[in-house]
Amino acid sequence: MTPRARAVLLVAAVACLAIGCAIGWAQLNAARISQAEVQLKARSLLSVLPAERYDNQPLQRPLVLPAPTLAHSTLLAGYRATLLGQPSAVVLHSRVQGYAGPLDLLIAIDSHGRLLATRVLQHQETPGLGGKLSEPGNTWLRGFEGRTLADTPDPAWALKRDAGQFDQLAGASVTSRAVIRAVHDALRYFDEHSHYLLGTGEHE
Amino acid sequence: MNSRSLLILSLAPMLGASQTLAQAAAVALFSLLSLCLHRLCMTPLRPLLQGLQTTLVSVLLAAMLVTCLELSLRAWALEVHAQLGIYPALIALQCVLLEQSFERHRGVAQGLLLVIGLCTVHLLLGLCRELLGSAGLRLAQLTPGALILLGLLLAIFNRVRRKPAPSSRQGSL
Repeated sequence: MTPRARAVLLVAAVACLAIGCAIGWAQLNAARISQAEVQLKARSLLSVLPAERYDNQPLQRPLVLPAPTLAHSTLLAGYRATLLGQPSAVVLHSRVQGYAGPLDLLIAIDSHGRLLATRVLQHQETPGLGGKLSEPGNTWLRGFEGRTLADTPDPAWALKRDAGQFDQLAGASVTSRAVIRAVHDALRYFDEHSHYLLGTGEHE
Repeated sequence: MNSRSLLILSLAPMLGASQTLAQAAAVALFSLLSLCLHRLCMTPLRPLLQGLQTTLVSVLLAAMLVTCLELSLRAWALEVHAQLGIYPALIALQCVLLEQSFERHRGVAQGLLLVIGLCTVHLLLGLCRELLGSAGLRLAQLTPGALILLGLLLAIFNRVRRKPAPSSRQGSL
């Protein structure tokens, strides 16, 4: 065998071995990876809900949302949390166009249409400006907690500079507007479909 | 361009993953691990190969290593994986570059020193970015700021390390 043929053979053998190793490792870990993904999703989804608010497994029964395309945002998923058999809250996964790309928000609304909490799932905003939203316990995001459509009328859902009620996140007015619109959309959607979302109406 | 500066440049693609000290530490750890494993795999193969074949095998092995690394991250540390994004995969570039630079100066101790140096620079970068970022300098948190910081760090390093002055004599003795 010529040295050249031997070298080609060796390279081919290494290639096969490398690909084999990678595929084998992927197969070996496939179950664990999907389990980890489900767990991470559950952790992040449920982080908007205080633990004493529910005793079911909201993620196991996602709601089928009618007309999920809203004025400024799109609802990707919805989950119902129940406590002692009574619906206690709804978690909506909303996607809105941010400054640099889609911005995914989780919005938790209690059974009276009051906003419980909001959290950013993923974003591509500028680090240090709009990106601050994803910091846990962001004070600006917490400013929405407790709001309802009753105490904050439609025109008030805007930045103060747009004649609304909300401050903006410093240096990130586009991001701030996107978040305000998404939260407003979600609250309106909840009011329009509250019976269906809570499972209390005749639509069930 | 000499092989050492090539190696330092291999830090550049990793700059995005040095926003905080924790991130930088994770990436430094993973690159240390991958670089050592890559070198371990390459050592028995190198005498059998030459030229292009070495490069090919080195690229293949680097790709396999980072694929396995990424899969392991997804299985055991999904949150870390989500934070780091594509950067663990770019460690393959460092592996290949280290391999290239090894063809000229061999020696395990020297190689290990080089790798530890790289990881230290990365850690320092993470520390600087975290400190400056929390002090309110936003540029430090952005990737271009990281590139400037890397340049500054290297400049300071070159200033501090006193090399013997290069001989002004031209031609060979």
